[in-house]
Amino acid sequence: MGGFLELVTGTLIQGMIYALLSYGVYITYKILDFPDLTVDGSFPLGAAITAVLLTNNVNPYLTLPITLAIGAIAGLATGLIHVKLGIRDLLAGIITMTALFSINLQIAGSNLVVPRSVDTIFTGAPTMALLGKMPLIYRKLVVTFIIAIVFKLLLDLYFKTKNGLLLRAVGDNSVLVTTLAKDKGVIKIIGLVISNALVALSGCIVCHEQRSFSSTMGTGQVVFGLATVIIGTTLFKNYDFVKGTTAVLIGSILYKACIQVAISLGLPANLLKLIMAVLFLAILVFGSYQKGAVKDNA
Amino acid sequence: MKNMKKITCICLILTAIVLTFTGCNNNEVPVIGILQYGEHASLDNCREGFIQGLLDSGLEEGKDFNIDYQNAGFDDAIATQIAQTFSSKNVALMCGIATPAATACFAAAEDKDIPVVFTAVTDPVIAKLDKGNITGTSDKLPVDAQLDLIRRIQPNADTIGIIYTTSEPNSVSAIAEYQEKAPAYNFSLEVIGVSQQSEVTLAVDRLIAKGVDCFSNLTDNNVVGVLPSILEKTNEAGIPVYGSEVEQVKLGCVAAAGIDYYELGKQTGAMAAKILKGEKKASEIPYETISEYGIYVNKDALAKMGLTLPEDIAQKAIEVKNE
Repeated sequence: MGGFLELVTGTLIQGMIYALLSYGVYITYKILDFPDLTVDGSFPLGAAITAVLLTNNVNPYLTLPITLAIGAIAGLATGLIHVKLGIRDLLAGIITMTALFSINLQIAGSNLVVPRSVDTIFTGAPTMALLGKMPLIYRKLVVTFIIAIVFKLLLDLYFKTKNGLLLRAVGDNSVLVTTLAKDKGVIKIIGLVISNALVALSGCIVCHEQRSFSSTMGTGQVVFGLATVIIGTTLFKNYDFVKGTTAVLIGSILYKACIQVAISLGLPANLLKLIMAVLFLAILVFGSYQKGAVKDNA
Repeated sequence: MKNMKKITCICLILTAIVLTFTGCNNNEVPVIGILQYGEHASLDNCREGFIQGLLDSGLEEGKDFNIDYQNAGFDDAIATQIAQTFSSKNVALMCGIATPAATACFAAAEDKDIPVVFTAVTDPVIAKLDKGNITGTSDKLPVDAQLDLIRRIQPNADTIGIIYTTSEPNSVSAIAEYQEKAPAYNFSLEVIGVSQQSEVTLAVDRLIAKGVDCFSNLTDNNVVGVLPSILEKTNEAGIPVYGSEVEQVKLGCVAAAGIDYYELGKQTGAMAAKILKGEKKASEIPYETISEYGIYVNKDALAKMGLTLPEDIAQKAIEVKNE
C-alpha cells in the first residue's frame, strides 16, 4: 500500500499548489464577480520568472516574494485597463493575457528547464535542516501544505479588514460602496492585484516542483480555477462554518483527485477529459447544486 | 435526504479512488511507464518502435516487462500527474516521448532516482536531460541532407519558405540551423513565425504571395497539425512542400530527408532493454542522435508538381504512397 499512500500524497501536493491559483480565481470570480482571464498569462509568468531566477542561482526562497510582486503588476495592468481605460472586464483580461504570452517568452527566452543541481524550495538548506530526513515527496507535501495554509489564513484575515469587506461589497452591491464614498474602481484593482499575485505564486511553486517553464502551461488554467471554485463552493454551500478559501482548497484537491482517478483507471487517454467532465457533473449534481430540487423532494 | 445524497456521493468517490489505486501493480514483473505527450502519428510511431526495440533485445512482454502507457493529451499539468503516478507505483523505468513528457518524467523520478529514457527530444542539452540517471534519443533534423535534397530536386530554386511556432524550442533551433546552412546551398529563406495554429494558414498565403519556390517543414507541432490545409493551398499555387519525416510525405509532401520515428523508437527501446537487464545504468549511456536518415518520396505528389527525381536519389529513396 506504500504506492497508494504516495499517490494520495502526490495528488494532495498538486491540489495544494494549484489551490493558490484557485484562491486568486475565487477573489475575482466569486467575490468581485469579475471574469478575469489574466490568469492564463500570469500563471506561466510566475513560472517563467522563477525558472530564470533559479537558473541564475538566486536564492530559491526569494523567488516567492518576487513572483508575488510581479504577478501583482500583471493584475494591476488588467485593473488599470479595465477601470481607467474603461475596457470591458473580459477584454481587459484577454489583452493582458495576450501580452503576457509574449512577455513570458521574452523573459524565459524559450521553454526553460531548471537543472537538478539547482536548489528549489524543496531542497534548499533551510528546508533540508527542518525536514531533511524525509523523502522528497513528503518534504514537498509539508512545504506546499504550509504555503497553501498560510495564504489561506492571510486571505481570511484580509477579508475581515475594512478593505476586505469593501472588496466583498463591490461584487455584491457596488452601489453601496459608492454611497460609502469609496471608489469601487480602486477596490477592483486591489482585488485583481491580490488575485494575480497568488496566481503567479502558484506558477512559481509549479516551476519549483516541476523544474520547468513552458509557454503553453497557462492554457486552460482559468477553466481549472473556475471549476475548482465552483466545485468547492457548491459542495460546502450549506455549511456556513466552512470558509470560502477552505472550500476552494478542497475543490482544487478534488479536481486533481478526479484526474488521478481517470489516469489510474487506465482508460483510453483520449477519454481523460470526458471522464473528468462526468466526475465533475457527479460532484455538482450530488453536491445538491440545485437548492430548488431539494426543496421539491422535501 | 440531502445529506444522504452527499454521503453516498463521497463514499462512491472514495471507493472509486481506493479501487483504482489498489488494483494496480501487484505482480513482480517490472513495469515500464510510457508517458507520451499527446496523440500524434510520429509520437505513436516512437512508442510502437520503443516496444519493438525491447522485444528485439530478447525481452518478453508479460514475463520481463509490462507496459503502463499513458497519454497527457498535450497538457503539461496532466503530464506531471502521470509521471508522479509512475513514481508512486515504483515503475522500473520511465519512458518520456517528446520533450515536455521527458521533462515531467525526469522531475518525478528525482526522488527515487528511477531511470528515465526519452525519445523525440530535439535538444537534450537545452532541455537539461543530458545529466543524471537519464538517457535517450534525439530527433534532431538532418538539415544539411534536407537542403541538399531540395537543391537536387529543384536545381533552379532560390527561396525556401518555412513556417514555425516561435514558442517551440525545437523549431527555433532548427530555424537557426537553416539560416546558418542555407547560403552554402545558394538558398535564401523566407521565415514566418506564428504563435498559434490559426495563424498558420495566413502565413501560407503570405509566403505564396512572396513567391517562394518551395516550402520546407520542420517537426513543428502546430504547423504539421494543419498540413493538409497547407497542402491544399500550395497544390493550387503549384509550389512543392518538403516534409521532415515520413508521416508528412504520406500526407502529400513531395519528399523529405528525415528520420523514421519508428526506427528512433526501436533504438530507444534497445537502450531501455540494456538498463532493464542491468547491463548498464542510464547515467552511463550517453544520449544518441540518429545518424541514419531516410529519404522519402511521394511519386504522385512529385508528378503533380512536374518534378523528377535525379537517378541516384531515386535509387536510395523510399517510396511512400498517399494515405
